[in-house]
Amino acid sequence: TTIMAVEFDGGVVIGADSRTTSGFYVANRVTDKLTPVHDRIFCCRSGSAADTQAVADAVAYQLAFHSVELEEPPRVRTAARLFQQSCYRYREELSAGIIVAGWDPRRGGQVYVVPMGGLLLRQPFAVGGSGSSYIYGFLDATFQPGMSRSQCQEFVARALALAMVRDGSSGGVIRLAAITKEGVERTVLAGSDLP
Amino acid sequence: RRRSPMVTGTSVLGLKFGGGVMLAADTVGSYGSLARFRGISRLLRVNGSTALGASGDVADFQHLRQLLEQMVIDEELLGDGHSYSPRALHSWLTRVLYNRRSKINPLWNSIVIGGVYGGESFLGYVDMLGVAYEAPSLATGFGAYLAQPLLRAALEREQLPTREEARELLERCLRVLYYRDARSFNRYELAVVTEKGVELEGPLTLEANWDIAHLV
Repeated sequence: TTIMAVEFDGGVVIGADSRTTSGFYVANRVTDKLTPVHDRIFCCRSGSAADTQAVADAVAYQLAFHSVELEEPPRVRTAARLFQQSCYRYREELSAGIIVAGWDPRRGGQVYVVPMGGLLLRQPFAVGGSGSSYIYGFLDATFQPGMSRSQCQEFVARALALAMVRDGSSGGVIRLAAITKEGVERTVLAGSDLP
Repeated sequence: RRRSPMVTGTSVLGLKFGGGVMLAADTVGSYGSLARFRGISRLLRVNGSTALGASGDVADFQHLRQLLEQMVIDEELLGDGHSYSPRALHSWLTRVLYNRRSKINPLWNSIVIGGVYGGESFLGYVDMLGVAYEAPSLATGFGAYLAQPLLRAALEREQLPTREEARELLERCLRVLYYRDARSFNRYELAVVTEKGVELEGPLTLEANWDIAHLV
């Protein structure tokens, strides 16, 4: 798996590959690892598919309840904190590396990372999954703060494409999503569309 | 039932000087050998008289930070004019860490607490086993092997170092650790605690000297 999220002024761009493996067998080559937990908040899942789906479902429920009580859209930070609470409490049992990203009216676009172990950290951009190891160099060399939405999309697509080539556990198509005040725009880059 | 730490921080240094105590730690969270998170703060201002630094598992440190922050809030709500002394916090942390280790579920950290209270400086150490002690200089992790001798040498003199001397010494130690600790980083933070309170400085960057490379 390779997952990634980048903040820009006005929202976030998130991306993931689409390969799920069971040992060496590709169980699903068109997986969707970008999972909504609320209207403008998504999570990128890496690690055990079962674990991350279970936690994401629980967080989605908690957020839905919370946002009814609040009578306004929940903060991205709240979603990230909910993930962190489960991932830290059950750190021995879970195998889950999660990136939470989205847009809220208070703080705009935000990216939070909850890696294995259950710490919580906000970052301008985050990567995760087995494929991320291969692109740290590329990311360090290429990332600039203050990129525009389309620059972020290109940055994410290029990074994921590079990781998918080198990592056997990553591959398939690139799923991208841009989350802003206006909503969520999803795209798929496949085959010859890949950078 | 535990286990191994995931994202970890390396050495934390502590030194008493004439007027207070100083803590230093770099700002990296390592994921095994990968320097994954380069902007993590491992120093914490607990209250007006105490600062704390932690090495080891960062998720556990964040958990501790939440506990401590809540404790400080609860105490302020009491409004009786008292605040936790560095010594009291050290004692509390020792109990917490020792009890966790006794359940074979430790908070995987080594912690340095420093503070000034009632005109007196305090510098204490607690770790995941519940081992706890006080000393005029402290270091966790690699620092215990490389930095502690340098710190102790400076304390052999009659008087405690001045604030400037302490700062230079800690920087020198951090530089040695940057050269020799494979899990270190050249960005760091400093916490200075005096009677006036806690000042957190950073992130600052260390300059490395590679002149000797030309001699080889």
